[in-house]
Amino acid sequence: MEVQSKELKGSGVAKSSLEGKCNLLLRLCALVLTLVAVGVIVSDKQTKVVPIRISDSLPPLDIPVTAKWHYMSAYVYYVVANVIACAYATLSFIIALANGHKSKLLVRLITLLDATMVALLFSGNGAALAIGVLAKHGNSHVLWNKVCNVFDKFCNQVAASCLISLLGSLVFLLLVMLHGLRRT
Amino acid sequence: MASIGDPEYKASSTPVPASGSGGADYFKFDVILRFLLFAASLAAVLVMVTGNQTEYLPLPIPAKFRYSPAFVYFVAAFSVSGLYSIITTLVSLSAIRKPNLKTKLLLQLIFWDAVMLGILASATGTAGSMAYLGLKGNKHTNWNKICNIYDKFCRHVGVSVAVGLFGSIVVLLLIWVSAYSIHSRVPK
Repeated sequence: MEVQSKELKGSGVAKSSLEGKCNLLLRLCALVLTLVAVGVIVSDKQTKVVPIRISDSLPPLDIPVTAKWHYMSAYVYYVVANVIACAYATLSFIIALANGHKSKLLVRLITLLDATMVALLFSGNGAALAIGVLAKHGNSHVLWNKVCNVFDKFCNQVAASCLISLLGSLVFLLLVMLHGLRRT
Repeated sequence: MASIGDPEYKASSTPVPASGSGGADYFKFDVILRFLLFAASLAAVLVMVTGNQTEYLPLPIPAKFRYSPAFVYFVAAFSVSGLYSIITTLVSLSAIRKPNLKTKLLLQLIFWDAVMLGILASATGTAGSMAYLGLKGNKHTNWNKICNIYDKFCRHVGVSVAVGLFGSIVVLLLIWVSAYSIHSRVPK
């Protein structure tokens, strides 16, 4: 009986240290992914010269048009959500590194905040992807034209950023699931 | 664990010691929240689907939710969450009857609740961003606002997104409750 309990204790310690390493690694992943996603979309800017015809008698005017991320409020929300998640990942990484699993209150608080971050990041991604799909295909019913045929580089960069951020939000989802698994 | 716990529970035939050894019990709260989720998803889907509006300008041009992929995704996600909430309410109710299964069930529930939170939050974000675009428009890309024309449609979409946001918050609370009761049922 005693041996059994000792074995159990030993396996529990090994398991928790493995879980701790997983936890740290996932937090680092989330930090890097959200940071890269923010970097990719913030550096995104494209200027194109678009010929615009005012009247049939005049030759078309060449007007430079710029696409920037902060022209669209959904992208602003997306960037803010990613920045918050990135800051939280940094903070929780430091806390996990310093604290381990010693403080029960901190572990609880971090579980709750992880779940909140999942919601925040997923909603930001949903908002950005909806605008991305609209920009790619347009919507003929309400006469919203597609813009990705003009701003091709801009659109591709937004898509890359969304993909990276989606991976980041999946990492947060894994973190919430890991919290559950740790308690078995 | 279960093989030991089961006869013990049958012998004592009182659930109080079983739940007492297992820590705090929030399953009743859980069931209430799941019912709220069901109500919210049903309301969100119904309000979104009934938002059709036809305007004569001068030709009749209808506005329907299925013209936008974002709203289709929203309806699909909340239909799934409605079904999910019915199933998990039954699971949660059965957990109240069989206390020895609780910890295992809590783990399963927290897993699927987290997936559902991701789906619902992204659906709310998607529909919310489209609704905002319909309300304000965007002059940079020449997308004009449509809510000055389709007022009833926009009202329905707005209410639906608000109810959807409430549903997402309920799922978040469900995860909080499950996580809290898992933490409290593990002896340190």
